[in-house]
Amino acid sequence: MSRNKVVSIGLLLWYVAVSVWMAQAPVDPQFWLIASILPAAFVVLLIATHRFLPLSHTSHALITAFLTLHTIGVHYTYAEVPIGLWMDQVLHLGRNHFDRVVHFSFGFLLAYPMEELFRLSASIRGWVVYYLPVMTVLGLSGLWEIIESWVARAVHPELGVTYLGSQGDVWDAQKDMAAALYGALLSMTLLLVVRALRGAETALESEAAFSE
Amino acid sequence: MHVVERAQSTSEADHCRIALALFLAYGLFWSALAVAPVSRHDWLLENLLTVGLVTTLVVTYRRFPFSLRSYTLIAVFMVLHAIGAHYTYSEVPFGFWLKDVLVLSRNPFDRLVHFAYGLLLAYPLRELLVRLAGLRGGWSYFLPVSGVLAQSGFFEVVEAIVAMIVSPELGSMYLGTQGDEWDAQKDMAAAFAGATLTMAVTAWSGKHRTVDFK
Repeated sequence: MSRNKVVSIGLLLWYVAVSVWMAQAPVDPQFWLIASILPAAFVVLLIATHRFLPLSHTSHALITAFLTLHTIGVHYTYAEVPIGLWMDQVLHLGRNHFDRVVHFSFGFLLAYPMEELFRLSASIRGWVVYYLPVMTVLGLSGLWEIIESWVARAVHPELGVTYLGSQGDVWDAQKDMAAALYGALLSMTLLLVVRALRGAETALESEAAFSE
Repeated sequence: MHVVERAQSTSEADHCRIALALFLAYGLFWSALAVAPVSRHDWLLENLLTVGLVTTLVVTYRRFPFSLRSYTLIAVFMVLHAIGAHYTYSEVPFGFWLKDVLVLSRNPFDRLVHFAYGLLLAYPLRELLVRLAGLRGGWSYFLPVSGVLAQSGFFEVVEAIVAMIVSPELGSMYLGTQGDEWDAQKDMAAAFAGATLTMAVTAWSGKHRTVDFK
């Protein structure tokens, strides 16, 4: 087995192990089921397309990190994740911020895989390489909030926005989208900086090689 | 044969003349509605982006002239927005009429304009992405939808920030929600539906098209 395969299968095994562990006695089984459908479908899609779309290990690791966070959140219906409760106590936030952290990670961790996806499959050039992932993260966040509102109205119409993570905040949807936007902006900025530094390094190396 | 050729490629002079006519017609309409808006304060707020967008389009005309189809779609959207801004959206007469006819609980004109935003601006956005970024194939239909949804989400975020600064005690009652807790999601869904529809039609008609963006 090639080294490439070992890393991919290792990450997949990690995700399956975490999922199985977190599937034991979730706080709200109905919420756990609804919120687990999309990630499961996403993983199946990644496995089915890995031949046509060979994403890098970096991308696979970032996606796995995000899915791990989501799986933990779903087990505790987000509002009751222990580390979020601990953050609330230490920083006096007034609410469990774990869901906001995961929205931020959605942008921060998944913007790079998207950038890679666009580079591999769409013939784009220039500034758009950095712009499109940010745009797509924000677009998907909006879509997520729409779907969330449909699910909430279908499952618990009498609860209104108090169902599903809003924890009583009327601006919850907007803050979640903003968090994802900040995450994506930060990750694309980092990518730009890293590439600029690497570009400078390669330029220096080639200059040194030339002078030799 | 000669007629077909002319219909397919507008000359540069014609393009310039028609674009200018669109701009002047819109300018006239906008000015008429700027005279006595229902609320000057709301009108100013709504027109910040309008002025910015129109200025950008005028300034970039030489470097990046959109197709006349795109300019027309943008102009239609801007006309709808000018009407909404004049009546602070919640008091547009046509919206009241729609509310009566369809037995709705609120004036739906703003929702209609959110839908129009996706429906009318997804095509110009696609043109921008294809011609400027070199997007090809399936992505060129997916990304305009994603872009419209992203801008709608961004707009809702900005709206929330403005509302929190201007009148925190009113909460989401401020700015257009008209008391609906799902207002932001419904607005985004309307824009999403509009953009999806336009991209579906564009993709379908694209099979029979030889020249893009004429």
